[in-house]
Amino acid sequence: MTENKKINIVLAGQGNAGKSTIFNYFTGLHQHIGNWAGKTIEKREGTLFYKDYTIDVLDLPGIYSLTTYSEEELISREYIIHHQPDCVINIVDSTNLERNLIFTIQLLELECPVILALNMIDLAKKKGITIDFQKLQNILNVPVIPTVASHGSGLTDIIDKVIELKEKKKDLNTIRYGKEIENCIDILSVKLQMIDLPYPKRWIAIKLLEKDNELIKAVWEKDSGIEETTRKLEKNLEEIHGHDSSIVIADERSQSASRIVRKIVRILPGRNISLNDRLEALTTHKFIGYIFMLFILGGMFLTVFKFGNWFSAWLETVFSDWHNLWTGSLGTAFLASMGWSAIESVLALIQIALPFILPFYIILYILEDWGYIARISFLMDNLMHKMGIHGKGCISFIIGLGCNVPGCLSCRIMESRRERFITAVLVTLVPCSAVSVIVFGLVGKYVGLLWALGLYLFAMVLIFLAGRISSRFIIGEPVELIMPMPDYKTPHFKTIATQTGLALKEFVFIAAPLVIISGVVIQGINLAGWMPAISGVLSPVTETWLGLPPITGILLIFGILRKELILVMLAAYLGTSAFSEVLNHQQMITLAVLSMFYIPCIATISVLWNDFGWKKALVVCILEILFAIFLAGIVKRILDFVF
Amino acid sequence: MNAKKDLVSLVDLNDGQTGTILSIVGGRILTKRLADLGLTSGTEIKVIGRTLFSGPLQIEVSGSRLVLGRGLAAKIIVEIK
Repeated sequence: MTENKKINIVLAGQGNAGKSTIFNYFTGLHQHIGNWAGKTIEKREGTLFYKDYTIDVLDLPGIYSLTTYSEEELISREYIIHHQPDCVINIVDSTNLERNLIFTIQLLELECPVILALNMIDLAKKKGITIDFQKLQNILNVPVIPTVASHGSGLTDIIDKVIELKEKKKDLNTIRYGKEIENCIDILSVKLQMIDLPYPKRWIAIKLLEKDNELIKAVWEKDSGIEETTRKLEKNLEEIHGHDSSIVIADERSQSASRIVRKIVRILPGRNISLNDRLEALTTHKFIGYIFMLFILGGMFLTVFKFGNWFSAWLETVFSDWHNLWTGSLGTAFLASMGWSAIESVLALIQIALPFILPFYIILYILEDWGYIARISFLMDNLMHKMGIHGKGCISFIIGLGCNVPGCLSCRIMESRRERFITAVLVTLVPCSAVSVIVFGLVGKYVGLLWALGLYLFAMVLIFLAGRISSRFIIGEPVELIMPMPDYKTPHFKTIATQTGLALKEFVFIAAPLVIISGVVIQGINLAGWMPAISGVLSPVTETWLGLPPITGILLIFGILRKELILVMLAAYLGTSAFSEVLNHQQMITLAVLSMFYIPCIATISVLWNDFGWKKALVVCILEILFAIFLAGIVKRILDFVF
Repeated sequence: MNAKKDLVSLVDLNDGQTGTILSIVGGRILTKRLADLGLTSGTEIKVIGRTLFSGPLQIEVSGSRLVLGRGLAAKIIVEIK
């Protein structure tokens, strides 16, 4: 393949517009997920081989604007400016054209080649919206292609257009502002001619008037004289319009978008109320909405528990046959038992953890793809405000139910640092699927399902109280919720299968090595006869204060790696998962409470460290250790009366 | 401006009622965020629903739905249509 047949494109667009679906379609298995340098924001790249071309595709984070509210927005705009991709494919939600076009206008201001993909055109049609894309093409002077990403239609047209654009560059169109603003832009552009910055001059001028901190810094450094001119122009604008200059610009941009939409969009009146509309009204209803939510979440946990138990019991019978086969043929000598403990650890992981994690992720991704998670945020916003954060924090909590790591990472959707931190800390208290393995596999199975659900309720109350307390101590203004409400969609089977597959793959590849190593180490310590010494050091806490068997001390240490190790290693150590032989009911509950809160697992700690610094991460860990030990001790003493 | 009786905050609209944004009583960052989402003066807003106990409002703007916190909605002054 020759050099000049290489093309690089980026995908940009707002959330929920179908960007990931298009990215997956283009790149298939040729994709690579990493991080942006120095950031924990996911960077997804891939390659598409099409005709004679090798096309590198980069998926920019989903954003609403190219102003720097967030790291994602900054990354996206820096990338477009510095890497000069051959083409930016702006994926637009056709049912939501006006809001999406505001972003498109900002992209055009960056003066890069743009192709507009009018995605979900089928849904728009269903809603009675017809879009004259020929006219849109003329107004914006960029290619406009209607697509339905979930069916793959229109997507090869995009690539054909990309190639066409690469072969012959097109002139770009500017969307003009009102006269006063254009005057200011002209004056600033002239002044900016002297300055050597890798950005288009018109764009710098606009951003200066928008009071963009990053650019103000960059320009003032080169020529502080421009500051005075800018201030004067801003003041002038503000006098004419009665608003801050940044708002005047944002206002006009948004008005251009709605002017364009008025020219090209026809909405047929009197369309039928669809099933989704009825569902919408029901699921966000004042009363019924909450009942529906309890029903959904309750159903989710019941399914996870019932399916998990059944699957786990089935696996147990299979695996115990294997053990008999092993000892029958290899005996119980030292090496043979070490070897079996490695195998047994993995089997225990599969038998205890997988049955609960698999259905959880499937249901979670169905709810996400369907669009229900946003409804939960809407319904819960009020309660979340009492914890000093807003409804979007709920999304992080629900993701945290699967795994605290993506839960903490998703806290970036919160607007301020303060809320990001509070949400992240609260997420570490959310019982993740690994903790659920302990709660369901121990308490649910042996003590009773109601006790397990009670523990979840207990965790929720605790998170609420922790939120109330931390919002008192961590000062700052609470931010209000602003969130687009996506329409309900029919869940897309392939998307759900892919996401579940990725989650399970990560689970197996990260957990299995840790489990094997810890399994062998524990078995080694045991065979060497060191177990009493190590357990002895921790026994004042485990035995005296918590009333747990001495082995739990060492299990809790391994549990920092992954929480389910506590149960998996116990099973591996005992050689059976009949936990009722070593733990009575109140010990099971005490151990479950302790496992829920005693420390975030190592991966979660590293996310906290990365995002908030080691000091805060350390404080969170120490507080949680002390708190959980104290709490579990109290729980034990209360349970003494119950049982 | 005369205090007209059909000038209210967005929160005071009933569910199903439509109003036109007259102004936003808030800081620069908030106003700009709203503008980037298409909420500027002159925009028509329809209140679709809300949750109990001063929870957020669900609104419709130019055919798409948004959720706004109650405190924020209180800062949007609209003229009832």
